[in-house]
Amino acid sequence: MIYINGAASISPQNSLDFNEFVKKMLEYEDDFLKSIKPDCKEYMKPIQARRLSKTVKNGIICSRIAMQQAEIEMPDAVIFGTGLGIVLDTEKFLEKMLKDKEEYLTPTSFIQSTHNTVAAQIAQKIKCHNYNFTYVNRGFSFESALLDAVMHIKEAKKNILIGGGDEMTEHYFHIIKKTGIWKQTPTKNTELLNYKTNGVLCGEAVSFFILSDEKKDETFAELKDIRMFYKPDNVSEIKTQIKDFLTKNNTEYSDIDLIITGHTGDKNNDAVFEAILSENLPETPAVYYKHLCGEFQTANAFAFWLANNIIKHQKYPDFIKLNDKNPEKIETVLIYNHYFNINHSLILLSRP
Amino acid sequence: MENLILKLKKQIIDALNLEDMEPDEIETDEALFDDGLGLDSIDALELIVLTEKNYGIKIEDPKDGKKIFYSVKTLAEFIKKHKTN
Repeated sequence: MIYINGAASISPQNSLDFNEFVKKMLEYEDDFLKSIKPDCKEYMKPIQARRLSKTVKNGIICSRIAMQQAEIEMPDAVIFGTGLGIVLDTEKFLEKMLKDKEEYLTPTSFIQSTHNTVAAQIAQKIKCHNYNFTYVNRGFSFESALLDAVMHIKEAKKNILIGGGDEMTEHYFHIIKKTGIWKQTPTKNTELLNYKTNGVLCGEAVSFFILSDEKKDETFAELKDIRMFYKPDNVSEIKTQIKDFLTKNNTEYSDIDLIITGHTGDKNNDAVFEAILSENLPETPAVYYKHLCGEFQTANAFAFWLANNIIKHQKYPDFIKLNDKNPEKIETVLIYNHYFNINHSLILLSRP
Repeated sequence: MENLILKLKKQIIDALNLEDMEPDEIETDEALFDDGLGLDSIDALELIVLTEKNYGIKIEDPKDGKKIFYSVKTLAEFIKKHKTN
């Protein structure tokens, strides 16, 4: 059995406190959604934070909260998934190189610009000398990290600190916008599903969790299983994957109390979710989350945070509902996400 | 001198990415390294680059660095002296 004993997220919503989060959705009309800047001074001195990028800083804060919730001093591993890594500082480093004509290069920006060091930097800050690894696998980054954490628990490790997150920058936004995958005009997150246009509303968030082999009074949820599948040929193949995944976990469609989907506001991307919901889960309560945090390679980490809290608190706000169906209980939750119809993932959680 | 000290504090905050700090949180006479602000050797390199890039002053002898970068005040005095010369 694998339990989630800690879950914390910094996102464009009030996600550091679930009770605040459910009260009100923070509304934006922008090119992309930006995380709320936490008060870092509450968690570390400015001098300690000076070489930490935004993602690492937010990761350390989430890590500390998740570890406190799980009542652990030191994890047996630190694992992180990120699609872009610490891209903001990568851009700063490159800008400095261009502006100063490759003179005056100092180590700080270089240290901050190495995308695959997030887990190591967090491990260093919490003085954890155990296994650490950063997965940079595009739309499978968080899921790969989660799978690694699961394997560590199965290999008799006790507590794994595992997270996922990305940061969005103006530069990256404008470069990728030219490909047409983002929405081309500022988008209201409250109206995301009403646009019916091409392109997604992108965003950012960082989330961390403690996976454990031990159930506690404050345990959020039990992680039953995770599956990734790459570039399915058609909806039929997706249905086969979902059916097979559920069967493997002795679960029927009718057992699912709530499905969390990765609707992005892109009509083509969302058609995949709509097909699954209408044909396989027509009576199942469904919620979505990318109007809260936007789309990015590790958005599913935010969905994982949401699912854990929904199971623990047995409630969710109206502003995430996709349909008007309400569960009598929330025992079994399925998260189904895909990143641009390339990286598909399924995560099954249950009430501990 | 006061203007230079304030400017230096802002430049240090920017160069060392001390984004949650305000200039008045850095004491003018406080040691920048060790038990003071707590900077380290990587920060020293940043300060050397800051001095060269913004004031055109090269620290020729690394041994002088310890005295020059002792505090914001010593750094300001060094810059003032070398700029007027």
